Amino acid sequence: MRALDWIVLSAALGFIVVYGLWKGRRNRDLNSYILADREMKWWTVAISIMATQASAITFLSTPGQAYADGMRFIQFYLGLPIAMVILSITAVPIYHRLKVYTAYEYLEGRFDLKTRTLAAGLFLIQRGLSTGITIYAPSLIISVLLGWNIYLTNVVIGVLVIIYTASGGSKAVGWTHFQQMIIILGGMLVALIVAVNSLPKDISFREAAFVAGKMGRLNAIDFSFDVTNRYNFWSGLIGGLFVALSYFGTDQSQVQRYLTGETEAQSRMGLLFNGLVKVPMQFFILFVGAMVFVFYQFITPPLFFNSVETLKIRSSPYAFEFARLEEEHRSVHYEKQISLQGLVRAIRAGGDDNVSKAEARVRTDQTRAAVIKKKAIALFKKNDPAADTSDTNYIFLTFVIRFLPAGLVGLVMAAILSASMSSTASGLSSLASSTAVDVYKRLVTKDASEEHYVRFSKLATVFWGLFAIAFATFANRLGSLIEAVNILGSLFYGTILGIFLLAFYFKRVRGTPAFVGAIIGEIAVLYCFKFTEISFLWYTVVGCVVGVGSALILNAIMPPPSRPESAPAPAPAA
Amino acid sequence: MEAEAPPPIGKSWARLYGIVLAFLAVQIVIFYVFTKAFE
Repeated sequence: MRALDWIVLSAALGFIVVYGLWKGRRNRDLNSYILADREMKWWTVAISIMATQASAITFLSTPGQAYADGMRFIQFYLGLPIAMVILSITAVPIYHRLKVYTAYEYLEGRFDLKTRTLAAGLFLIQRGLSTGITIYAPSLIISVLLGWNIYLTNVVIGVLVIIYTASGGSKAVGWTHFQQMIIILGGMLVALIVAVNSLPKDISFREAAFVAGKMGRLNAIDFSFDVTNRYNFWSGLIGGLFVALSYFGTDQSQVQRYLTGETEAQSRMGLLFNGLVKVPMQFFILFVGAMVFVFYQFITPPLFFNSVETLKIRSSPYAFEFARLEEEHRSVHYEKQISLQGLVRAIRAGGDDNVSKAEARVRTDQTRAAVIKKKAIALFKKNDPAADTSDTNYIFLTFVIRFLPAGLVGLVMAAILSASMSSTASGLSSLASSTAVDVYKRLVTKDASEEHYVRFSKLATVFWGLFAIAFATFANRLGSLIEAVNILGSLFYGTILGIFLLAFYFKRVRGTPAFVGAIIGEIAVLYCFKFTEISFLWYTVVGCVVGVGSALILNAIMPPPSRPESAPAPAPAA
Repeated sequence: MEAEAPPPIGKSWARLYGIVLAFLAVQIVIFYVFTKAFE
C-alpha cells in the first residue's frame, strides 16, 4: 500500500471510531445501551440490519466464490425476502409488544427458564465463535497479501470495535453502520469499474458477460433438485428461508438491530427494505467476482492466489516440480487466451455452430488449467499435509492490490475493514446484551441499579471482544470463509428456530417437550454434519423439523404437569 | 385487539408484502433469463 492508501484507510477508520464514540456518548440505562432508546427510523434500522449481515467475509470471499464457482451462490439468498415478510407479520409485533431486550426473554414467558437459557446458550456459543471468524477472516487474507502481522491485525480490528461498541452501545453500532455501508458499497463499485475498464480494449462489456457465461460463471439459477448439491434454487429457497428465519428472527445480533426501531412499523419497514435490496446487492458483489474472472482470462493469473503457500512450496524440495507446473500453467493460459479470442470472434459473427466449437476449445483449455491446479494442490499437500489448499478468499484482494490505483486500494481496504467492524460490532453488542440480560440479570444479580447493568454490559462487551480476538488468533484453515461462517451458523440455527416456531405457532406445546425436542433436533443436525453428505443449507431444515416434530410427539405422550412448570416471567422478563 | 399502525411509506402492509414477494419473483425470472442468455 502507498502513502495515499494509508491516508484514506486511516481517515475512514478513524472517522468511524470517533463518530461512534460521539453518537453513543449518552447511555443512562439498559434501554439506551442495548436498544438505542428505541428511537431509530426505518432506514437506519434497514442499513444496520444489512451492515450486520455483510461482514468482511462477504466482500472478500463472495467475489472469489463467483470467480471459482460462478454466481450460483446467489440462490442462498432467495429465501431471505420471504423470511422478511414472515418475520414482519409474526416476530416483530410479539417482540415489540412484550418490550423485550433479547429474543430469548420471550421464551421464558412462553415456556420456561431452562428453554430460555438453552436458546441463549446456543446463541452465545455460535455468535461468540462467529464473531471471532469475522475478525479473523480479513486479518488472514490481509496478512497473507500485504505481509501485515496477522495477530496485530486481529488486535487492531478488535480493539477499534471494542472502543466504540463498549463505550457507545447500540447507538454507536447503529449510526456507524450507516457510514460503513457507504464506504463498503463505494469500494465494491470502484472494484467493478476498474475490473470492467481493465478488460482488453477490443472486448465490450456484453462480450465480457458472454465470456463469463460460456465459462460457467453466470450460472445464477439452477432448478435441478439434489440435496447434495450445495447451491440450487430449492436449497436456496427452502434452506435459505429457514436460515434467514432463524438468523433474522432468533439471532440476537439481528433482533437487537430491529428492536431499536422507534415503533413496530419502523422495525417492520427496516426488515422489508432489507428483503428488497439484499438479493440485488449480493448479485452485484457476485457479478464483480465474475468480471474479475473475465479480467484474469486476458491477463495470466497466478497458479495459486495464496502467496504464503506459494512461497512455502518454492522453498521446499518440490520447488522444481512447482516451477514446471507454473510454466505449464502460463503456456495453457496463453493457449486459452487464443481460444477465447476465437470465442469472442464467433460470438460477434453469430451462428450457433461456430460459437459451440469455439466454446468447446475454451472448455478443453479450462479443463487442462484445472488439472494443472489440482496437481499444484496435490504438491502443496505432499509438502505439508496441513497446507491451506483453498485460494478462493485471496482472489479478490489480489486483484485489488495489483490493479487498483493509489488511493482506491486504501478505499477498498477501508471497505473491507469497515465490513469487518460493522458485523463485529453487532456481534459484540448482542453477545453483551444476552450475557447481561439472559444470564447476569436473570440468574446472578436480579435487583441492581440500571447503572450497574450498563456497567456490566460494557464489561461484557470488552470480554466478548477479547474472546473474539483470542478465537481469531487461534482459528485456522477453514476453507472458504463465507462457507465456514454459514456452516457454523447452520449447526445451531435449526434448533433455535424450532424452539421459536413452537413458541409462536404451537400454543399447546409446553416447556419440557420443547426443551427435549430442541436437544433431539441438535443431535440430528450434528449427525448430518458428521456422518452424511447432506449440504449444510439443509441442516437448519433438519434441526427445525426434527426439533418441532419431537416436541409435538413428546407433548402428546407426556402427561401435563399437575402444576405450572415454572412461573411465567413478567414482560419484560429481564 | 390494537389497530395496526400504517407503514411509514405505502398504503398498507399487505401491499408492501406483495411488493417484496413480487420483486423476488421478478428477480428469479431475471436471473433465469440471465443464466440462459449467457450460457
